[in-house]
Order: sequence, then structure tokens, then C-alpha cells
Amino acid sequence: MATSDTIAAIATPNGSGGVGVIRVSGPACKSIAQSICKVLQSAAPASSCTGQLTALPQRSATLTDFLGSPAEVIDTGIVLFFSTPNSYTGEDVLELQAHGGRVVMDMLLQRVLSLGARMARPGEFTERAYLNGKLDLSQAEAVSDLINSGSAAAARAAVKSLQGEFSQRVHALTEELTNLRIYMEAALDFPEEEIDFLASEEMHQRATSLRRNFAKLLETTRQGQLLRDGLTVVIAGKPNAGKSSLLNRLTGEATAIVTDIKGTTRDLLRERIQLDGLPVQLIDTAGLRASQDPVEQEGIRRAILAIREADRVLWIEDINQFDIEDDTARIPSGLLAGIESQVSEVFRLCDLLINESASMVESRAPDKERMGEAKAETLVVDLVLNKTDLGSHDAGLFSLDERLPLDTGGFLRFERCIKLSAITGEGIGLLQTHLKQQAGYDDASEDVFIARRRHIVALESAAKSLEQGFSQLENQYSPELAAEDFRLAQQALGEITGEVSSDDLLGLIFAGFCIGK
Amino acid sequence: MNYPDKFDVIVVGGGHAGTEAALAAARVGANTLLLSHNIETLGQMSCNPAIGGIGKGHLVKEIDALGGVMGRAADAAGIHIRTLNARKGAAVRATRAQADRALYKAFVRRALESQPQLTLFQQAVADLTIEGEQVTGVTTETGISFSAATVVLTAGTFLAGKIHVGQANTSAGRAGDPSSTQLAERLREMPFRVERLKTGTPPRIDGRSIDYSNLESQPGDEPRPVFSFLGTRDDHPRQVCCHITHTNEHTHDIIRNALDRSPLFSGEIEGIGPRYCPSIEDKVVRFADRTSHQIFIEPEGLDTPEIYPNGISTSLPFDVQLNYVRSITGFEKAHITRPGYAIEYDFFDPRDLHASLETKAIRGLYFAGQINGTTGYEEAAAQGLIAGLNAARQTKDREPWSPRRDEAYIGVLIDDLITRGTNEPYRMFTSRAEYRLLLREDNADMRLTPHGRELGLVNDVRWQAFETKQLAASTLESALQDYWVKPGDELFAKLTADNGLALNRQRRFSELLKMPEVKLARLLELAENEVSADKQDYSNLSGFSEAVIEQVEIRAKYAGYLGRQQEDIDRSRRQQEINLPESFDYSRVIGLSNEVRQKLLDTRPDNIGQAARIPGMTPAAISLLLVHLKQRNQLAAPAIDEAATAS
Ligand SMILES: Cc1cc2nc3c(=O)[nH]c(=O)nc-3n(C[C@H](O)[C@H](O)[C@H](O)COP(=O)(O)OP(=O)(O)OC[C@H]3O[C@@H](n4cnc5c(N)ncnc54)[C@H](O)[C@@H]3O)c2cc1C
Ligand SMILES: Nc1nc2c(ncn2[C@@H]2O[C@H](COP(=O)(O)OP(=O)(O)OP(=O)(O)O)[C@@H](O)[C@H]2O)c(=O)[nH]1
Ligand SMILES: [Mg+2]
Repeated sequence: MATSDTIAAIATPNGSGGVGVIRVSGPACKSIAQSICKVLQSAAPASSCTGQLTALPQRSATLTDFLGSPAEVIDTGIVLFFSTPNSYTGEDVLELQAHGGRVVMDMLLQRVLSLGARMARPGEFTERAYLNGKLDLSQAEAVSDLINSGSAAAARAAVKSLQGEFSQRVHALTEELTNLRIYMEAALDFPEEEIDFLASEEMHQRATSLRRNFAKLLETTRQGQLLRDGLTVVIAGKPNAGKSSLLNRLTGEATAIVTDIKGTTRDLLRERIQLDGLPVQLIDTAGLRASQDPVEQEGIRRAILAIREADRVLWIEDINQFDIEDDTARIPSGLLAGIESQVSEVFRLCDLLINESASMVESRAPDKERMGEAKAETLVVDLVLNKTDLGSHDAGLFSLDERLPLDTGGFLRFERCIKLSAITGEGIGLLQTHLKQQAGYDDASEDVFIARRRHIVALESAAKSLEQGFSQLENQYSPELAAEDFRLAQQALGEITGEVSSDDLLGLIFAGFCIGK
Repeated sequence: MNYPDKFDVIVVGGGHAGTEAALAAARVGANTLLLSHNIETLGQMSCNPAIGGIGKGHLVKEIDALGGVMGRAADAAGIHIRTLNARKGAAVRATRAQADRALYKAFVRRALESQPQLTLFQQAVADLTIEGEQVTGVTTETGISFSAATVVLTAGTFLAGKIHVGQANTSAGRAGDPSSTQLAERLREMPFRVERLKTGTPPRIDGRSIDYSNLESQPGDEPRPVFSFLGTRDDHPRQVCCHITHTNEHTHDIIRNALDRSPLFSGEIEGIGPRYCPSIEDKVVRFADRTSHQIFIEPEGLDTPEIYPNGISTSLPFDVQLNYVRSITGFEKAHITRPGYAIEYDFFDPRDLHASLETKAIRGLYFAGQINGTTGYEEAAAQGLIAGLNAARQTKDREPWSPRRDEAYIGVLIDDLITRGTNEPYRMFTSRAEYRLLLREDNADMRLTPHGRELGLVNDVRWQAFETKQLAASTLESALQDYWVKPGDELFAKLTADNGLALNRQRRFSELLKMPEVKLARLLELAENEVSADKQDYSNLSGFSEAVIEQVEIRAKYAGYLGRQQEDIDRSRRQQEINLPESFDYSRVIGLSNEVRQKLLDTRPDNIGQAARIPGMTPAAISLLLVHLKQRNQLAAPAIDEAATAS
């Protein structure tokens, strides 16, 4: 089954060190390669009309500069081309391997997208391979599972990406755009009404405000703030476990105050670090314990909310508090269960806090819903056993893979246990490698980073349509063309906030205006 | 008795759906019988005698492009014709005509009576004959049985129709006509999902009792627009003027004080009415801050004094109607000739239909018009044409045909109905069409007449007219490519003066046309009799008809947008058309959520495109369907091969 669109994704397998791969599949591969790969451009004689691609050998690696524009080199790497049907998907496939970290890969992906590809959905390469008869029939189930788990992961990542201010702003914009479209569509479909929707002052105010707000949001995304967040990792645990010391170790600076007094940290401390170009946001929190001190109480409240929104949690314990034999991977029974009950308590408190604040501020109800959704989710925790230097412990890392049900619903999943010393730095490398893997991504499981990229692609495409729509409105008074641009803008935003159908629009028109004879 | 002759197609109902269905079936060569309550009411307009309007005018042109009768009837009967949205772009411009009720009906009747292969018969149908899962004919209320390979049902608002005027209600199909009770009961026993809808109509007024002296008048357009691609202005009868008046605070008070006697608010009426066509009581309640609502005073015909006050449909008791009508400027002494009323009726969930409008449950049975949850003559006629065509094709073992969403509003209409269903009377709007810029009134013939010709719906006269227009348009387009205007030409100076254009270098005519300021008709006018400096004369540019000039101009001005819409269409086309077999077992698709599965079961889409358009469907769900389908087809393929070799 031939598809006519071209898909692209960052296809670097988890944990692969410095090399990233962008995979592209579909009919536009050749022209994309042509525009991106410097070797192909210099090799092409200007006169030949079909000859350029003969320079791109099939199935063999060619070293090239990757171009962001004719003048700008994004990175240097290897290009591979597989032509239909002899490729993984059965379509033309292009692979760009670059050395840069995640940010560079993202630039490369953007470039590919700007050349006519769209972002692949999770599992879509494999889906195409299957539909094109490249995989065996018996694999249908596996392919379905991949599509399914991939889209579930993408949905979760999308929810995470949309937390906080970004989400509020995108939703507000969608609403503004919808309101503007109501005026446009009402003007086109109900010209006999007594109001001239297009000339109405209100519509022009709306248009101006939408334009301004959109520009502001885009400015923010262009500065890369949204992408910089990356994976959010919260460091939590009891007081004095060494949370702040770990933060300092990972950032390489004495950012947080460290003392041997329990309850040193009060406020949330956010630090951004890069692990091989992968952005990670670390949050140091107040140690969790019952406290009478109102300042510490507030700190703990903030810690609780942070844990709830984390992509993952590093739970720190002092290894010397437990009877742990050094040469085995065994964790004393009771330790995990103990953490589980503390996390359950955190969640319970958190729900209380959210309900409280929601009942105080009605308008934040959507956020509450979103947090409610997150509730059924699994909280992923790595156990960090700190202060190995104090006993006769060696640093190490092993899998836990333990799922414990939380009292409050959902699951707590322990993934890894890492033994390290925040003070000497022993074992830190293991932790870093592990985090990097977690911040990495593959074709099938979406992470927040990819979700953000999707959102930004959608925003940018919406912005482009909007600008065209506004200039239609201004220059020519062709409202039906402006309406088409606004429809496309809404379609693009719909990827983030859900579809607004023509029926929804009509419903809003009838609800808002007295229309009809 | 059993009627001795056997038919290919029986059409039940002679409204707008029924008449187009019967004509289409007969046009493509099926031996067709049209059964209706009353031959005198064939082509009757139940409500306001107006044809067209935004979205609806588009449908009329499409029906016309496929050889239907509606456009020609509207030309023959139009007594007040306008182009709505005239100052906006081509895609949203729409033709609307106030029609003389009698002239319209007469035109349709003549068309029916002169159509070869079509038989008319006056009888109410009481039952459908069904053998197994196949329809075989109908039986009338007096016991006559007709047999046919296919049946098209177009019973309009008549199925279990119930009229409300205040607290009083009676059984009726519309004022003055009986409802179809027996048939409605029988249909409720069949495997269709049945629901109730409602619609309403205003009181009619004797125009001689209206004082027009203080009312704003609204003349039709000059030059008058024409509906049919074969029509001319000479087809139009004498033209009249419409007027506009308004309700006032006093009117609203009268209505507010009588709400307790409104069946709409007392809960008497259960069916859902059209939101865009609210009754006056609805408007007064929902938009309480409005102190006045506009009313269009539209004549019902040339030979009748009755007028239709558009904007005050109601189901309030008659004494209230009289009171509020007389509170309106110009209506102080109004005489009401017929009370307004609301009507409730049965309709069938259109998700039980294929795109051909054949029911999924009973082979050979087609539904069209108001019974599918739509409202409006044009919506009904459009469905009728498609249902009649496909019923006829089925008798000849031909594949059904229905236009796609990117080909016609008819496609949008049918696709919306069968994929989304409806819970209010569905009316067409241009905003429903994602390919609005492509689906224009002006190019309805280009979109559909070639299809119609292939299907046998379009006769030689229409085809020749179409080909002539096509040829002229492409001749003009290539001429515009060939000609240049250069600095130093007299035309160059004229153009600069005329449009204030800064033409700093030589240009092709086709380039000029892309500029928003340049109007093709004016350009051609200026070029006439001109000769350029290098001796090219522009004589090849003259003699083109208005329609051709308009066509070429629109294509040029919309070019960028149309190109993008076309790309969009091409991209998804292949995938959309992959069929989902009727036997497709959704419970076996791995990974579908229960919610999505239920939606698919409720709609049972015929292909992937329809599945994708079900509200709430996700891309992942569509991927899962495709993967399952691939597996299924591969497993099934050997079996098909065997069957092929065995035969
Ligand atoms: C009161 C009222 C108000 C309306 N208001 C509006 C409005 O505001 N705006 C709007 O757009 N549209 C309105 N309409 C709708 C418009 O009239 C219809 O949409 C259109 O006429 C539907 O066409 P149809 O062919 O489906 O059915 P109809 O035009 O209703 O035709 C049905 C035909 O079937 C025949 N029939 C029914 N049952 C049988 C049977 N058992 N045997 C034989 N013949 C049968 C009838 O005699 C009739 O000829 C209104 C209709 C009514 C009745
Ligand atoms: N020897 C040793 N001491 C450590 C290590 N990590 C932390 N400490 C000490 O433990 C004490 C508490 O460290 P912090 O980092 O402030 O602990 P915290 O978890 O942030 O404590 P609160 O902010 O109070 O919740 C300090 O005295 C640190 O020097 C370690 O790996 N080895
Ligand atoms: Mg601390």
C-alpha cells in the first residue's frame, strides 16, 4: 500500500552514546537528502535534471555535512539511503547519523520536517513495514502492540509536556482562535443577519489580541525554553539523606546549601543540566518528615507537588541506615515497602492539596483534571543509596523492577538501585548513564521531549497559517480565504488541544448569536 | 391485488427527495414507479417557497450539474432572485430564489410527466415487502401490491407526523395532509434506529392586510443570477419585491406571557428542532436581551396574496399568534390565512446507511430526504438524486456511486450523515465543507457533469453545453498565457491608470490576473481593439461568456489555495478508499479501546476514510484497523485464489 506522505523521527536506540539517527521514510526522501546533504549538492552538475541522486549510493555510508540552509552546517555525519522496495519500510528510506547531542538532533529533525516530512507517530515505521509486506504475517500482534503502547506513551508524554504555563497558554490561544473563527464562519454562513460580523469591532479586537498572544508564545518557544526542560527528575527522601549534595554533584557546582542539620532545604531548587546534550531538569526538595515548623511545612508541601509532577523520582536513602551486604544486589525486605507507604502518603497529601486549591480557584479546574489523569499513572522511582564512602560499600547499579500498588491508586515502579557517594562522586557515572538512557527515546515510546517537539511543530504551522490569514483579511478582504487559513491553523493546534469540528463551531455560533429565521 | 407490471425501482413519496429520485432512476434507464399520497402535491414546498441560500444554492447547482430538476424549476418559478455574499469571494457566494409555489410545483409535475420510463401513481404506502434481507416491493393502504427490485423511501415529515398548535395536537404529515401511521409502525419493527425530530413554520398572512408604507423594501438583484447551467434570465417569471420588518418589545412581552401555553416549553414536544431555525418563542427566551428580531416578508407567489413572514415560526396557540403578529409594524391589521405550527416526525439514524443511501440492514431499500434527519428541500433533493441513481444501478448490477467530500456538497452531506449521524435536523452550511474553496457554485458543472455523463444522468444537450464551456475556458486560459503587456503599449498605460497598478515591467496577462486589483472582465474590455507595440492584437481575447470569464478568473485568484487543498486530497485518498468489509469483526482487532470499538460498531463504516471521520477516532485506532485488515486479507487471499481457480 503506497502512502504519499513522508514521515521522520529521531530513531536513536536508548543508551547509544554520542551518535543519533534520524530516520525518514516516504517519497520525499530523495529531495530531502538533496537539500540537506552537502555532498549531493556539490556533486550535482547544474544542468543534469535527474542525475543528482546518482551521487547518493544505495545502502552504503557517505560522509557529509548536514545543512540547515545553504550556508549553515548543523553537523557532520553519515547519510544512508535505501530505495524502495529494498528498505525496512518498503519505501524510500533515508538515515541521517549525526554526532551532536539531542539539541543538534532536534535541529536536524526540524530541518527534515521543514522539507516536507511530518513527524512519525509512535510505531509508524514498523506499521509501514508491516503494511508493505516487509514483516511476516504472524507479527500483526506485535505490530499492534507497538502501535498501542506507543500511542499510550505518547499520550502520557503529551500530558506531561502540556503541564503548567505552556498548557494554559496553548489552551487560551485555541479558545481565542475558536472565537475568532466563530465570527468568520458566522459572517460567511449567515450574511442575512443584522450584525456584520466581519466589520464588528469585537472581531477586530479579537484578531489583534490573538495575533499578539500567538507571537508572544512563539517567541518563547523559539528561544527554546520549552525544549530546554527535557526530563524532570525530582530528588526526594528523608532529611539529611544527601539530596542537596547529590544535586551539587550532578550540576558540578555548590548550588544548594548543604549542612548536617536536618531540614536544611526548604524551597524547591531547580537546576538544568545536560547529559550529552539531553536536557534534564533536576529539582531538589525539602526532606520529608513530620514537622511543626511552618516554613518547613510549606517546603514539604512544595516537595509533594513536585513529586507528583515528576517524570521520575530519585529516592535517596543513607545506605548506612540499612543492613546491606555489599556483594549482593539484595535489598532488605521492608525498605521498598517503607518507601511505598511514604509515597502513598505523599500522594494522599497531594490530592488533598490539589482539591483544596481547586476549590479555592475554580478557574484552574482543567489543571486539576489533568492531575487527576496523572493519578492512575505509574510513578517511576530509582532508589539511590547514598554515602557508600562511610561504610565498606562499593558503588554499583542493579535492576529492581518491582511494581508495588499504591494505597491511593496507581503503581509505584522501582526501576534501578544505584549505590553511590554524593561526596566522593563514586558511582555518579552510573547514575548519569542511567538518566541519559531514560531521557533517550526510540521509535516506539515517546518521551516529553518528542511530545514538545510535536507541539512546537504544530504551533509553528498554526502560526504560519494565522499570519497568512491576517494578511488576507488586511489586504484583500477575502474572508473565505482568511477563513481557510484560520481553519488550517485550528487544525494544527488541534494536534495539541483536540479537534474542533465544524459542528462544534456551528454549535458555538448558535449558542452565541441569535441566528436563523 | 398484485399489480401486474414489475418495476425496477419504486420511489415512495413525491416531495423533493422523491421527485429527484424518480427522475434520476428513470433517466439512467430504470423502469420506475413513483408512489405518492397525492399527485396534486408532487414537488410541493411544505414550508417557505424559497430555493437556495448559503450551502443550499451549492447543492442546487450540483443537482443541476447531474441533470436534476431543482435548478430549472427554481429558474422557472423564481420571483425574487439574489446572490447572497455577493461581496465576498466566489466560494461562499450562493444563489437564492423566492419561488412562486404554484409555478414550481407545475414545473416539477411537467418534468415528471414527460420523463420516459417513469410511471406515477397516487396511493399511500402502508408496508414494504421484504424477503429475507431483501426488499421486493410495497403494499398500499388499499391493498395493492407492487413489486420491484429496489425501493427508495422518501416519506419526509409524514412518518408518525404530529402537528402542534398550542396545547392541541393532531396527527398529520404537514398541514392539510395525512400522516403515514401504518408505514411508520411497520418501519419501527425493522432493524433501524428511530428517533424523533421537530420543525416549525410561521403563520401565513394575507398580503392585502399588510401596510407596507413604513417597511424597508428589498428588491432582487439585477442582473439576476440564474440557477441552472442550462438556464437563462429569460426563464424567469415577473419579479417582485420582498420587505423587512421587525418584532419589538411588545411582541416579546406577548410571547413571554404565553410561554406556559407553548408545547415547546411545556414538554409536549420531545423532538429536537433545528438550532439555526429557532421558533420565535425560542429566540425570545434564549436571547432575552434582544429587543427586536428581523422578519423577511416573502411573497408565496404571483397569483396569491399570501405572504410568508420569515422569522416568526411558532407553535404557540392561535390567539397568541394573532396577538403577536398584530403587534408588529405593518402587521397591525394583518389577517392570518393559516396558523403556524410545529411538527414532530420519525427519522432514521443515518449511520444505518451506506454512502449509496442503501440501508445496511435491508438490501435494495434506500432512504432519502427528511427521514434521514435532514431538513430543507435542497438537502432532500440531493439525497433523492443519489438514492434514485443507486437504486437503478443496483438493478443493473452496477457499483453504487456517491460523490466524495472533495467533489461535492452532496458528498459532504451524505458523509456527515453516515459517519456522524445527527441529533437535530441537519442543514447544509459552507463551514461543513473542509474543501469549501473547491466546492463552489460556479464550478459545480466541472466537478460533477462529467461524472453525470458517465453515469447516464446527463443528456446530450447538457453535455454539449458543458463541453463548449470547458473548451472556451481552456482557450481563454491559454490565450492569457500567450499574451504580454509591455511598457510602451497603450494598454500598459491604460491599466496603470485604471487600477493604480505599479506595473514596472512587462507582464503576461495570466500574471496580471493573479493580482487582486485586476478584474478579468475589465482587463478584456480594456484590451479589446488594442494592438501592442510589437503588433500583437488581442482579438483572441474577446467573445467569451460571463460564465467562462468568471470561471477563469476564480481559478486564477484561488490558485494557491486550490493547489494546497488538492495536495491534501491526493495525500489521503488511497488510504481513505480501503474498504472495510461488512463482516469485519472489531472485537478481533488487537488493542482497540472499548470506547473506539463501540463507536465503530455504532457506525459500521464502509471504508477507512469513513472510519477516520467518526468523531473521537484516533490515528492509532486507524493504524490498528489497517494492520488487522492486512493480516485478514493475507489470510483470506489464498482462499480467494482457490475460489478463482475452482470456477
Ligand atoms: C412545518 C414544516 C416546516 C418546515 N420548516 C422548514 C424550515 O424552516 N427550513 C427548511 O429548510 N425546511 C423546512 N421544512 C422542511 C422541508 O419542507 C423538507 O425538508 C423537505 O420538504 C423534505 O423533502 P422530502 O422529499 O424528504 O419530504 P417531503 O417534502 O415532506 O415529501 C414527502 C412526500 O412523501 C409523501 N408520502 C409520505 N408518506 C407516504 C406514504 N406512506 N405513501 C406515499 N407517499 C407518502 C408525501 O405525500 C410527500 O409527497 C419544513 C417542513 C415542514 C413540514
Ligand atoms: N560521607 C558522606 N556524607 C554525605 C554524603 N552525602 C551527604 N553527606 C552529608 O550529609 C549531610 C546532609 O547532606 P544534605 O545534602 O544537606 O542532605 P539533604 O538530604 O539535602 O538534607 P535536607 O535538605 O535537610 O533534607 C551533610 O552533612 C552532607 O555533607 C555522602 O555521600 N557521603
Ligand atoms: Mg537539602
